[in-house]
Amino acid sequence: MDIRHHPEDDLLLALSAGSLETGTRLVLSSHLELCAHCRERLRTLDALGGALLEDALPAPLADTALDRVFARIDALEAAVPRPIKVSAPPPLPEGARWPRALARCTATPWRWIGPGMSWSRVSVPAAPDAKVFLLRIAAGKYLPQHTHRGLELTQVLHGRFHDGRALFGPGDFDAADGGIHHQPVVQEGSECICLASLDGRLKFDSPIARLFGSLVGM
Amino acid sequence: MATPLPQTPPPGPASRGDGRPRAPALTVVSLDPDRSPRPDKDWSRLLCAVAERQDRPAFAQLFAHFAPRVKRHLMQCGSPEVQAEELAQEALVTVWRKAVLFDPAQAAASTWIFTIARNLRVDLLRRRQGQEAADEPFDFDLLEGDELAADERLHTSRESERLRGALAQLPDEQQQVLRLSYFEDEPHARIAAELGIPLGTVKSRVRLAVVQLRRLLER
Repeated sequence: MDIRHHPEDDLLLALSAGSLETGTRLVLSSHLELCAHCRERLRTLDALGGALLEDALPAPLADTALDRVFARIDALEAAVPRPIKVSAPPPLPEGARWPRALARCTATPWRWIGPGMSWSRVSVPAAPDAKVFLLRIAAGKYLPQHTHRGLELTQVLHGRFHDGRALFGPGDFDAADGGIHHQPVVQEGSECICLASLDGRLKFDSPIARLFGSLVGM
Repeated sequence: MATPLPQTPPPGPASRGDGRPRAPALTVVSLDPDRSPRPDKDWSRLLCAVAERQDRPAFAQLFAHFAPRVKRHLMQCGSPEVQAEELAQEALVTVWRKAVLFDPAQAAASTWIFTIARNLRVDLLRRRQGQEAADEPFDFDLLEGDELAADERLHTSRESERLRGALAQLPDEQQQVLRLSYFEDEPHARIAAELGIPLGTVKSRVRLAVVQLRRLLER
């Protein structure tokens, strides 16, 4: 897979430090599972976290702490790592893969939102209010022009779009925040499916687009 | 007015009548057992002993070293002490439970334990937000068929020590940016305050610090 767009270091570092919202983390994770380059970047940052942990000034624990930990260990059942369950995704075109980062999530069937446009709401069991969704847009169509109040992450699962700045294809990642005003256009030849998360509301420019926004609850 | 001079420390170990040196009354070593840190590969070996034969003395050594550090880390990230203590214990229980998944060819012990503590903290934040109790965050190591390229196998114990060396070479401000990123409840706000810069420029400072760190590592 020819991946050309990757998350910036500040996002990867926030992932490593554990300070991202659930939805944001899931979309970023779905990029990482396809991208060995970014996994390697993340490993360096995790190692940085490890080094900083190693340097931390020890904070003494209660005298009984080790005994209590052994007691809890004794109470553990035989430890077997759970296999990852794969949820039933809405039908995806051949070649598009449901990210394994979403293994425990569920998604609604495709819902029509306009000509050549449908979406599916992804529910994250651990975070019911996470705004994560799939967008499916036919070849040649474009998304309503919008800006962001928060951070919008997009991971391309299938097809290609151009947002006026660059071309994005399968495996590519994009982060857009308040500074970016864009109108993604899907390339001819194939429809485009993206996984996206929002940690703020989208701001659409036209009334029809605003209707779309209220439909998807963004 | 004359300022009293600080008392000079007592001379070295005094001799007893029998000529043998007297043991110091309070050894510094017992207060700070890690004055000369053990190399990371020692911790890796102990983790493997836990994985292979449920070695309790090995686990106790890991506990003595890492549990207080995990606790400090959690306190710095905003957990009250009682909760940090509880979570640090939980983290070490998880270390025991998952030790079979630890691969010394892939990660340093400190890195692996850091990610366990990090994931527990993420779970806790979710619970605090009233979201239902959680599955663990996605673990890339559980991906089947996720074959590692040779150049991904870098973060062994030795590499972890190189990383600490590189970190020490960074300018103070960049070290501070990285430290605050990992050990703060709201890292960006804190970085902006500590450095006296607008919140909007924190991201670029963070990126710069990471770029510099990678540069030093590539040398």
